[in-house]
Amino acid sequence: MKRAILAALGLATGLAVPATAQDIKVGLLLPFSGVYAALGNDIEAGFTTALEQFGSETPATFEIIREDTEVKPPVALGKAKKLILQDKVDVMAGIVSSGVLGAVRDMVHGAGVPLIVANAGNDEATGAACSPYITRMSFSNGQVNRPMGQWMYDQGIRKVYTLAPDYAAGRQMIDGFAQTFTAAGGEIVGQEFTPFQKTQDFGPYLAQAKSSGAEAVFVFYAGGEAISFVKQYDSFGLKADLPLYGSGFLTSPLYVNAEGPAAEGVITALHYVPTIDSPANAQFVAAFTAKTGRVPSEFAVHGYDAGRALIEAVKAGATDRESLANALRLVSFEGPRGALSIDPATNNIIQPIYVYETVAGADGMTQKVLAQLPAEADPVNGCEMAAPVSN
Amino acid sequence: MSHDIGFWTLQALNALQLSMLLFLLSIGLTVIFGLMHFVNLAHGSLYALGAYFAASLAAVGGYWMGFFLAPVAVAGVGMLLYTGLIKRMRKSGPMAQVLVTFGLIFAMLDLTRIFWGDLALAIEVPALLEGRLAFLGVEYPTYRLFVIALGALILGALAFVLGRTQIGAMIRAGVDNDAMAACLGINVERLFFIVFCVGCALAGLAGAVAAPLLSVTPDMGLQILIPTLIVIVIGGLGSLKGAIAGSLIYGVVQTFGAVLAPQLASVLIYALLAAVLVIRPVGLFPAKG
Amino acid sequence: MFRHNALRYTALVLLAAGALFQALTAEYFGLEILTEILILAILVLALDIVAGFGGMVSLCHGALMGVGAYAYALLSTKAGIAPPVAMAGAIALTGAIAWGIGAICSRSHGIYFIMATLAFGQMGYSYVFEAPIFGGDDGLGGIARLDLGLIGVDLNDSRSFALFCLAVLGAAYGAAVLILRSGLGRSLSGVMHNEQRMRALGLTVWRVKADVFGLSGMIAGVAGALAAQHVMYISPGLLSWTVSGEALVVVILGGLGTLVGPLIGAAAFVLLKHELSAITTYWHLVVGVLLIAVVMSRANGIFGWIEARWGARMERRIADAARKHQPEEVASDA
Repeated sequence: MKRAILAALGLATGLAVPATAQDIKVGLLLPFSGVYAALGNDIEAGFTTALEQFGSETPATFEIIREDTEVKPPVALGKAKKLILQDKVDVMAGIVSSGVLGAVRDMVHGAGVPLIVANAGNDEATGAACSPYITRMSFSNGQVNRPMGQWMYDQGIRKVYTLAPDYAAGRQMIDGFAQTFTAAGGEIVGQEFTPFQKTQDFGPYLAQAKSSGAEAVFVFYAGGEAISFVKQYDSFGLKADLPLYGSGFLTSPLYVNAEGPAAEGVITALHYVPTIDSPANAQFVAAFTAKTGRVPSEFAVHGYDAGRALIEAVKAGATDRESLANALRLVSFEGPRGALSIDPATNNIIQPIYVYETVAGADGMTQKVLAQLPAEADPVNGCEMAAPVSN
Repeated sequence: MSHDIGFWTLQALNALQLSMLLFLLSIGLTVIFGLMHFVNLAHGSLYALGAYFAASLAAVGGYWMGFFLAPVAVAGVGMLLYTGLIKRMRKSGPMAQVLVTFGLIFAMLDLTRIFWGDLALAIEVPALLEGRLAFLGVEYPTYRLFVIALGALILGALAFVLGRTQIGAMIRAGVDNDAMAACLGINVERLFFIVFCVGCALAGLAGAVAAPLLSVTPDMGLQILIPTLIVIVIGGLGSLKGAIAGSLIYGVVQTFGAVLAPQLASVLIYALLAAVLVIRPVGLFPAKG
Repeated sequence: MFRHNALRYTALVLLAAGALFQALTAEYFGLEILTEILILAILVLALDIVAGFGGMVSLCHGALMGVGAYAYALLSTKAGIAPPVAMAGAIALTGAIAWGIGAICSRSHGIYFIMATLAFGQMGYSYVFEAPIFGGDDGLGGIARLDLGLIGVDLNDSRSFALFCLAVLGAAYGAAVLILRSGLGRSLSGVMHNEQRMRALGLTVWRVKADVFGLSGMIAGVAGALAAQHVMYISPGLLSWTVSGEALVVVILGGLGTLVGPLIGAAAFVLLKHELSAITTYWHLVVGVLLIAVVMSRANGIFGWIEARWGARMERRIADAARKHQPEEVASDA
């Protein structure tokens, strides 16, 4: 069965000839239209920033071919096939939604094309569905939220109400938190999953959270839903009695200015905030701001580190699909997020997590880092990693 | 989980607030349909446009400028649409209309992206309406109470205009039988034009009012379209009574569904719509028997 | 009722030849696009039967296709049923669901029918999105293609799969013509033109509508099962109402109620989409404006326009000929 699928995905008709040694063809597979277009743009800007900044460290040249996934899995798969079979790229990077990653996973694995995941966080991608060709430079849903359980318990919080959109990522984010929070001795007093991208009014859920007897609320929302949620939470005056915690995407730099003062005092955890105090981050923020006029978001840093990882792999001597796949797994460097490395057991990134509070700054909202929680590798989650095989 | 009376009051207010927002949107759509037999799927896009205009205007002259001028601006767009497209499409069947306005959705979605970008915008609640009011024993956000009051005000005004004024009588005559109304010397063409623009203005107003509650994104029009269509089909096309009944039913089902049967929340409303269509294929309060 | 004429035959032959040529010579990406066109063509064929010949403008055909895709995926992966049986099951299930929707909506007309089908489509979308068995937003992967090893065809090869889809499209077209020429199809056309009269003649109108809708649903189910096999991965987006809307766009673009036109529409739409999206991410704007222009032009789509011009020419020729001979019969009736 698996053989059959691989064959259908293109192995049957013979595979690409590697490009000349020092010319690396990169396929960027990102949403440039649809609900995640803003994310796609940030990731692309981060990626090109990295190539501009570190490209001179290697004699290789990089040719970028960008394709729009429209956040539609079938479209994305078609574009991935085009990149692999027609453009014959050496490496692919991007992928924002987990659904899209699920759709292209068998294709890239079967064709043996290295893929640097620059956002999609579903736990399976570096768990049961892991592949030696797929290296994730972004995060996994559980990874971002797991450290928060113990941390909130340590702050003296014992009873929490959770809310998230009703889809895989929402459930994995909340599960990651709930697991460590209850293990530490806390109690989840109520849990609700709201219809994904169909909930305009969070009022009904907020009233429930209020009457649940919780001491705090922990949520995951992203994009437009995050803005609506944070504003509505504030308008009901819940922040004072029932502090709002969450996954850091809730108050991402991409949305926080639309949330405005409503986001003030919200405490969340994420793998990157633009106010991390380090030379590497200062350099990145300066370069990115000069390029786009915006403060970089966590999405921008995914793109940036994906580009950086590619350059590191090329510096290590990789030239074609197979050697790039092998080299990408061994990449480690000090980036804006801190010390990064790849977990050989799952190919997922190992990175520190930052707890931060959103505070009012000189021009708009900004982030105050409260704690840096140590980097931990994800549990293996059923991943059986084989070494890349040669085709 | 035990809930006290305050909890249910709060939820009832939530339901009412959602209903009023939907009412502002659906009334324009339903009267346009009732009078002109025109299906405007792009109504949601006009709502999104209202929110974007309000966001841009608010950035210049504060919330109230957006609140008052966004509906005017959307009515202006409506005027253009009417003279350019709608007028010629009136006699076509529902399918041609559905398709033209489907094309409009596509075009307007990308136009908002070109003009305002992909990033979400937002408007702050004006100082006057910030905070919360004690109301029926619960604390409720002032802005949400404002939305409810505004919806009630528009409902009252429309009921008065449609029921007690000459132009209202003309509109009702047009809904009943436009050919006959034209024979009676009513300038039906001008009536259509006015109603269409007012409908657009109300959609723009809904956008401006919703903007501080939600986020302003290019796809907000698509997201609101389906709920609005459900409202007018449940209520019955063409009538004020239908629009308000449909909005209340939608608001109550969504809000209390989310509380009482969260697993079914999103399927519930579609099931209800199907049930209504089986029992009364033309909705609860259609304009014409 | 549906009739072939010389123009339609010519168009069919040209389309089939073009598709066959493409299937035999195209490179990898060309085959992808061809397969996409063929599957979309099957879907819009199903939609044209109900919308073009029954006046039932459905906004749930995308969802029906999704039902077929999910049914095939679940039956063949989770239930472990052999792919051919799973495909038959998926088609039957989609047909049954479509029959139910058709029966329930049979009393609604015009815009109410459109809205009612939209509601059913959205209901399916919400359900698939949320029920864990369907994999939610992340979708389902690992879907196998049919095994035609018995007749020496390996469908895992892209070229073979494209040819297979072409064959299925041919069969679906034949089925559509048979349906429309059957007693049921004739009743349907009567219902479209005057429902009251057909009722007065003793016809059970709702049964006619439901039966045709069910058969159309089966064809949509075929498209769904093929789509699942083509991509080998499915996600709830397949059921979204915009897919149904796009299918309707294709039918209109090609020519409603011509059966041949929608096939041309499918090819034009997919090619246009690929060309445009390569140039700009704002391709929806272009498609939107184009759609408005086509509908406003009042021509019945691309093929409708050609047919109208051809028809006018033929009429002139017949009028000329009639002076000397008996008028020739233009259309070949069944």
